[in-house]
Amino acid sequence: MLILWCSVSVAQTDSLFRAQDLCNQKRFEEAIKVIDRAIVDPQTNSDPFSWHLRSFAYLHSYKSKGQNNTAYLNLLDTSLASAIISNKLDNTGEYKDNNRNFIKNASIIYYKLCSTFLQDSLNNEKSLVFYEKYKKATLLIDPEFNMKAKDIEYYSATGAIFSELYINKNFDPKYGDIAKSSLLKVLEMDPKNIKANLNLGVLYYNQGATLMRQMDYDVDLSQLDVIQENAKKLFKQSLPFMTKVYELNPEDKRVLEGLQGIYYSLNDFDKSNEFKQKLEAQNQR
Amino acid sequence: MKSGIRYILLIAIVFGCFGFQQNYDTNAKVKAVYLYNFTRYFEWPESMKSGNFVIQVIGTNNNLNQELSKLAATKQVGNQKLEIKASPIIDKESKPHIVFLLPESSGSLPEILAKLKGKNTLIITEKAGMAKAGASINFVVDDNKIKFEYNKTNAAKAGLKSNDEIKNLAVAVY
Repeated sequence: MLILWCSVSVAQTDSLFRAQDLCNQKRFEEAIKVIDRAIVDPQTNSDPFSWHLRSFAYLHSYKSKGQNNTAYLNLLDTSLASAIISNKLDNTGEYKDNNRNFIKNASIIYYKLCSTFLQDSLNNEKSLVFYEKYKKATLLIDPEFNMKAKDIEYYSATGAIFSELYINKNFDPKYGDIAKSSLLKVLEMDPKNIKANLNLGVLYYNQGATLMRQMDYDVDLSQLDVIQENAKKLFKQSLPFMTKVYELNPEDKRVLEGLQGIYYSLNDFDKSNEFKQKLEAQNQR
Repeated sequence: MKSGIRYILLIAIVFGCFGFQQNYDTNAKVKAVYLYNFTRYFEWPESMKSGNFVIQVIGTNNNLNQELSKLAATKQVGNQKLEIKASPIIDKESKPHIVFLLPESSGSLPEILAKLKGKNTLIITEKAGMAKAGASINFVVDDNKIKFEYNKTNAAKAGLKSNDEIKNLAVAVY
């Protein structure tokens, strides 16, 4: 709150003083009404302080509703947009640091929401919306921020969470598909990412194994051939990812176990035994 | 600036690796499906249509035995309950409907054929050449899938009537 008091511009009008006073009394909703009039008033609408104050009022109004309250996200969005406008108008840089703090605040909240939707609600679509907002806000305050690393972290986490969900929710393909597309995004950015390769290999394998597991015993024999064919395609899709991990780390027990299982399911018992022996040799070390 | 943003990592997001359905043997499931389906394509004599429908596995394959036990718990052959026997011995009294000879036990095929002569048993094997050596059905791997060869002469010798459709499903018919 104090940051505002020391930043008062000589160009302020009574309405801005009034709004600032309301902010200091934590009467943010009333302050917003006053500020929203000020930003359309020709006397104050090009004053960076008007927008700076608006950013502050909207941010704190949002926070007063509860940090994870998505019903009032327009308040946070408005705070961010106002801070951006204030920065553009602020030729002297008087409000730059404070505006940056407001943007950083928004960025943190968006990331919290992105994580909450991903981990708690398992709603990847909403999570992604907030992740994109987080990225936009973060790049505003630090254009050099290594967003590629963050993207890899985010999509890896999405892939891992939905891979686990796929297993725990009786192999529901909708979760497997989300995991798959997320992990493929990781590999677009980082083709040698061991965990993404491994998780994708496991995912494709599990999808093939699920087709077999869910097959009824009295399935018609012509249908059995179709199921075997579809499972085979998935096992074969699993192979390049597992092979990649094997190339990167031939002593990784998870990949030795994986390749043993994939070749077994492809009825290639010689290859399966080859990796079984490698795994046994690893276990004896 | 970067150091200021580090604290944005608010939540330690899970990023592990997930396990294979490693306890699941797809090969065993396919064979169980085949074994059950074969009961539709062969007809056993009236004298074998009462009591349990016996499938005997000769050799060791725990996953297959587990899969067949699940099969027996959920399915029947007509009105007959399925009974799965995992025993290397075929005694004089027993008249299994199906005997599945696992690869490591293939060497005992001649002996088994002799013991089961005239008992209307469908003999299934899983080793190259067995369909020509006396088995009625022999599992083979073709294009990474489990398929089967069919020897109609051996099935007829065993006293089993078969549905002609099985010939269309087999990869080779002798």
